[in-house]
Amino acid sequence: MKLEREQLQMVLALFVVAAIAAILLGLTDIVTREPIAAARKEALHRALQQVLPAHTNDPQAEAVDVDGKVIYPARDHGKLAGMAWEVIAPDGYSGSIRILVGVHPDGHVLAIRVTDHKETPGLGDGIVRNQAWVDSFRGRGLDDVRWKVKKDGGDFDQFTGATISPRAVVKAVKGALEFYRAKQTAIVGRLNGNSESVPGSAGGGE
Amino acid sequence: MNKQEVFADGFWKNNTIFVQLLGMCPLLGVTTSAENGFWMGAATLLVLLGSNLVVSLVRGVIPKNVRIPAYITIIAAFVTVVGMLMNAWMHDMYLILGLFIPLIVVNCAILGRAEAFASKNSVSDAVVDALAVGLGFTFALLLLGGVRELLGQGELFGFPVFGESYPNVLMFILPPGAFIALGFILAGVNLVNRQLKLRADAAKAKAVNADAAATVAVEAG
Repeated sequence: MKLEREQLQMVLALFVVAAIAAILLGLTDIVTREPIAAARKEALHRALQQVLPAHTNDPQAEAVDVDGKVIYPARDHGKLAGMAWEVIAPDGYSGSIRILVGVHPDGHVLAIRVTDHKETPGLGDGIVRNQAWVDSFRGRGLDDVRWKVKKDGGDFDQFTGATISPRAVVKAVKGALEFYRAKQTAIVGRLNGNSESVPGSAGGGE
Repeated sequence: MNKQEVFADGFWKNNTIFVQLLGMCPLLGVTTSAENGFWMGAATLLVLLGSNLVVSLVRGVIPKNVRIPAYITIIAAFVTVVGMLMNAWMHDMYLILGLFIPLIVVNCAILGRAEAFASKNSVSDAVVDALAVGLGFTFALLLLGGVRELLGQGELFGFPVFGESYPNVLMFILPPGAFIALGFILAGVNLVNRQLKLRADAAKAKAVNADAAATVAVEAG
């Protein structure tokens, strides 16, 4: 069967449009790739500053990978002062909540910070805006408090009209501490063993 | 139509939101604050500029049967470009607007302008049309975002307006508040338009009367 002239024109037109679009996207990608990476790094840096204690190293450069979690260490003149990694609460009110949890080497929370969420403004977004609530995690270890919101018989406040978001965050932070308790030797060993290791270079364990 | 008429038509007379009620998804989805509304509008404006420009450039070249896939490809390309630019240089706002940026592709207002205007008019007219429609859209989002932020949180662009004692009317931040606020804004726009029309009619009637009086005077004289 021979292609009609008209059909050829259609194919050609769509091909040219798609090709131009592809070139445009490729060029934009070349221009924006580095700024996007820099913006991500800067956003992470700002978040890390808020959950890690004073440190003299570059936590992002010294990150290690333990069981698929990228752990950012904070060292004060070489001594491990704390670490942070991101946990994901899959059960937010609208989608996942990503939380950066700063943990002291002895296993209590230094600070938490929500890095990404889609919770309702004015209700569930108290997990970001309500500083007193965010601070209520500070210094808490796994056995210090009951890791539930008050409505569920725990020690953490929920918000008026919003229980689901704080509940999800409390659960995720508790999960982070449980992860640390289970893997503490592996994590601390990795962090102290080779400070120059690269994320993703190897699985956990000593 | 001259450029002025094109602009007035796109910005006000056929405003995407106020008159055509298109693009409701980004309108209701992101306008929890004036700032969000503004940047969503600005992103849409940029996409509209790009797509109107290119569609007008290739008008007559694209066979009629495949024009819709061709337009959508062009629009999707610009949406992705705008998304990448925002990700690079407005990272925080990019994270806030999130999914609504890629969803600009399916804003039927943009395909509508490509199909109804840019594909039939000169490049310069198409650019003016994109500016007008985009600014009209931005204005609508900014207005709704501002109203909702003001009533819902007592703030505007993040600055407190009503002070600490203002009881935040949370409903305006939640989705129902978007519909309610939009309803009142539409009523207000209709009121303004009716006044404008009355005034125009009155002016016309006056002109006609003056004409008639002049004719009478001439005849009598």
